[in-house]
Amino acid sequence: MSYLEYNLKTVPTGLRKVMHLNWPLVLLLGAVASFGFLMLYSVAGGDIGQWAAPQMKRFGLGLAVMFTVALVPIWFWRNVSALAYLASLVLLVSVEFIGSVGMGAQRWLDLGFMRLQPSELTKITLVMILAAYYDWLDIRKTSRPVWVAIPLMLILIPTALVLRQPDLGTALLLMMGGGVMMFLAGVHWAYFATVAAAGAGMVAAVFSSRGTAWQLIKDYQFRRIDTFLDPGSDPLGAGYHISQAKIALGSGGWAGRGFMQGTQSRLNFLPEKHTDFIFTTLAEEFGFIGAMTLLGLYALILVFCIASAMNNKDRFASLVSLGVAATLFFYFSINMAMVMGLAPVVGVPLPLVSYGGSAMLVLMLAFGLVQSAHIHRPRGRR
Amino acid sequence: MIRTPLRPLARILPARARGDNPDAIERENLRLRLEATRARARVMAEGRLLVLGVLFFTAFSVIGARMGLMAASQPAEPQSVAATDGISSQRADIVDRRGRLLATNLVTNALYAQPPLMVDPARAARALAAIFPDENAERLLARFTQPGRKFIWIRKQLSPEQMQAVHEIGEPGLLFGPREMRLYPNGKLAAHVLGGARFGRESVSAAEVLGVAGIEKAQDDRLRDPAHADTPLRLSLDLSVQAAMRDVLSAGMGLMNAKGATAVLMDIHTGEIVSLVSLPDFDPNNRPAVPTSGDAADSPLFNRAVQGVYELGSTFKVFAIAEALDEGLVNPETVIDTSGPLTWGRFRIRDFHNYGPQMTVTEVLVKSSNIGTARVALQFGADRQRAFLDKLGLLTPTPLELVEAGGAKPLLPGNWSELSTMTIAYGHGMSVSPVHLAAAYASVLNGGLRVEPTLIARTDITPGPRVVSEATSARMRTMLRAVVTRGTASFAEVPGYAVAGKTGTADKPKPGGGYYDAKVIATFAGIFPAHDPEYAIVVTLDEPVESAGSEPRRTAGWTAVPVAAEAIRRVAPLLGLRPEIETASPFAVTAVRN
Repeated sequence: MSYLEYNLKTVPTGLRKVMHLNWPLVLLLGAVASFGFLMLYSVAGGDIGQWAAPQMKRFGLGLAVMFTVALVPIWFWRNVSALAYLASLVLLVSVEFIGSVGMGAQRWLDLGFMRLQPSELTKITLVMILAAYYDWLDIRKTSRPVWVAIPLMLILIPTALVLRQPDLGTALLLMMGGGVMMFLAGVHWAYFATVAAAGAGMVAAVFSSRGTAWQLIKDYQFRRIDTFLDPGSDPLGAGYHISQAKIALGSGGWAGRGFMQGTQSRLNFLPEKHTDFIFTTLAEEFGFIGAMTLLGLYALILVFCIASAMNNKDRFASLVSLGVAATLFFYFSINMAMVMGLAPVVGVPLPLVSYGGSAMLVLMLAFGLVQSAHIHRPRGRR
Repeated sequence: MIRTPLRPLARILPARARGDNPDAIERENLRLRLEATRARARVMAEGRLLVLGVLFFTAFSVIGARMGLMAASQPAEPQSVAATDGISSQRADIVDRRGRLLATNLVTNALYAQPPLMVDPARAARALAAIFPDENAERLLARFTQPGRKFIWIRKQLSPEQMQAVHEIGEPGLLFGPREMRLYPNGKLAAHVLGGARFGRESVSAAEVLGVAGIEKAQDDRLRDPAHADTPLRLSLDLSVQAAMRDVLSAGMGLMNAKGATAVLMDIHTGEIVSLVSLPDFDPNNRPAVPTSGDAADSPLFNRAVQGVYELGSTFKVFAIAEALDEGLVNPETVIDTSGPLTWGRFRIRDFHNYGPQMTVTEVLVKSSNIGTARVALQFGADRQRAFLDKLGLLTPTPLELVEAGGAKPLLPGNWSELSTMTIAYGHGMSVSPVHLAAAYASVLNGGLRVEPTLIARTDITPGPRVVSEATSARMRTMLRAVVTRGTASFAEVPGYAVAGKTGTADKPKPGGGYYDAKVIATFAGIFPAHDPEYAIVVTLDEPVESAGSEPRRTAGWTAVPVAAEAIRRVAPLLGLRPEIETASPFAVTAVRN
């Protein structure tokens, strides 16, 4: 059912839209962000100005962005999704030429008032274009090779651009987010099975090539894998992040050391303590209970997104909501897994908690889309 | 599959009959078909969503379980920076042969400041200056208030009292960093063997402790090896013997007005050094600075027993006689021409006294005749002498486990002429360290097996190669015993311990060449007990003058020998030797002559 078929009279208009916002979702986002403020205040050693205050400002800005996006009808977003996707590709390419280099990778565009990370923006525009594509595509053609190849290209182009920066974490998120979109849209199982088998084969090939003449990846890359598999093997070198994070997590115990009482993170044992590794501080200070609470909040956000999507008979709106949910899921699960040593260290922030502007704004924009889909969902007659 | 026709005749015909537009029926059927497709898609989408939900749930469970596992794990106490920056303050203890502590680590603290945390830098600076007299309040304050400074070392080590005092300042910006300090509980005892330690790389919470000299430096890797952290390094030294030796030597050095003294006591069979003293000495807990001017050999840091290479005079005669005996050129009763002076080119070799025109080999040694020894040495010549001394280890640095040992190369004549052969035979023209001498004496007199000097207690010492025959060794012991009973070392007699040995009084060489008239190195080298030797001892005094008599006496017989005798008297019981009254004295015949 496309937007033309809506019974428009049942969709709220004007300020009445505010009443129809998914308010629980707003509250959940605020709760997660507050966790972030607390942790940033704590890792700065009780200094609100260092990280917490800028983060609050960004969250405020993010809320404004979310409400703005939410009040614009979802069909507008559907119509501009191709444009948005193209714009983000242009930004990604321009980062190649005029981007600033930070932390050994070229990721940022300096816009004067803020530093934009186009790869973050791409995560959302990719979800949008794929949702629009499957909304447009005749559902019976979904699994035909040609019509599978097109979304594949849509995913792979930005992924390749991001990999060039290089930013393995974001590239992974793009691939997985796009993959989930295709899966939800109903692409045949066989395609995913093939990709999974090929991936497994590749991993097997890489590992069996170790030490042979046709070795597929460099030695240092093997060592990284070794470190991931056994961080204890190199506790002072590459395994350092992980070992220290594990110590911090372990020292938190069940109830934690208490707010502002963390030692591992406070005493500068941990790198990136306010960005990618902020979860360790949380786990150390609030323990298992605190970590589970945050995980619970994330889970609730997912549940609200999915529930909203399932009640939405508009295919684009529903797919966008699910895509945003999946993106959020991959964000925090990869981050947590990485911190706990379940996944290799790739630069993925903890969504809404880690210090950082682009990721926060882009996520809030994404939730704006979810809200818009929620407000403008088709109602009334089936 | 049965498809519903879009225009079923069964409905079209009645509709036509009713006059309705049959297209409506087609539209309705199309709509139904579309809805059916959508419903199928919806079912599939919900199935997919379920799969995704399962994936999400699995991820949550895995993360939650992992988190729980980590929370439940015993919190590994953060190993502070020590583990993170690779700085380990670990250092194994050093103990003597009986396990008594020679060097250990003491936990102490370093003091540092973090100016950003300071409440009242001015007060802190004043208070610190009051606690540490060598700190200056203004200078400290200037450092505390220097913009941009976040970290300042103030003291590397604190005594507990100082630490308490700093605590009482109550300044939060003054912080303590734990340290392990090397402590030598016995102070100056064994200073030259132990050497000393200093801090290496350091961080706030740890500092490396590195050896700077002596065995601490030579065995640095072993001492810092984490695998051996709990096993102390056991030396061959015996602390009580070392203490007695140092006492006696120190007193003797004062009594004989010497400017330096050294003594080495060695197990004659294994080469293990039981005591090694060099005076003047220093406290390794507080090593003095290396002198920048003057003679390094006069510094307390100088290890005379190991680093000091001296012409050791008549003590060398033992080697010439032993070689001649071993090669069968002479026997103890062979008569040697000792008429002098012996002229060789433009050199003349004299004796201290004129001993008459001829003497037996025994008498040459007992009376210490330079001329007689030189004549004996001429019988084997330069090459064989050189080979023999090399067998005794006198031509190369000792393998002793001190860093200083490697640098103590014996000084040898550039051209080993016949003249060199003669002078070396009585201990001039060649310089070795007292440790060299002790090891060579042990090798010749222990039955003839080469020993290497060592400072590490060992159980696995295999006998070295043979240097002289057992018979030669026994004859040498008898002759050296005679030196004590009726020769130049008569003061060395210690009742019950049958000391045997040889004196040596060597003129000190002038830096520019030639020899001083009144500066000597007086040495006694010997073994005890003579009939069943257990230990070799070397006592050397630097520039001794014995002034009890009417004229100053400098010869070893009057200086080094009494000191050595006193040392043996003191240490022999400590070494567990039972005094024995000699039976069937082989010198009964000679006693008549006295």
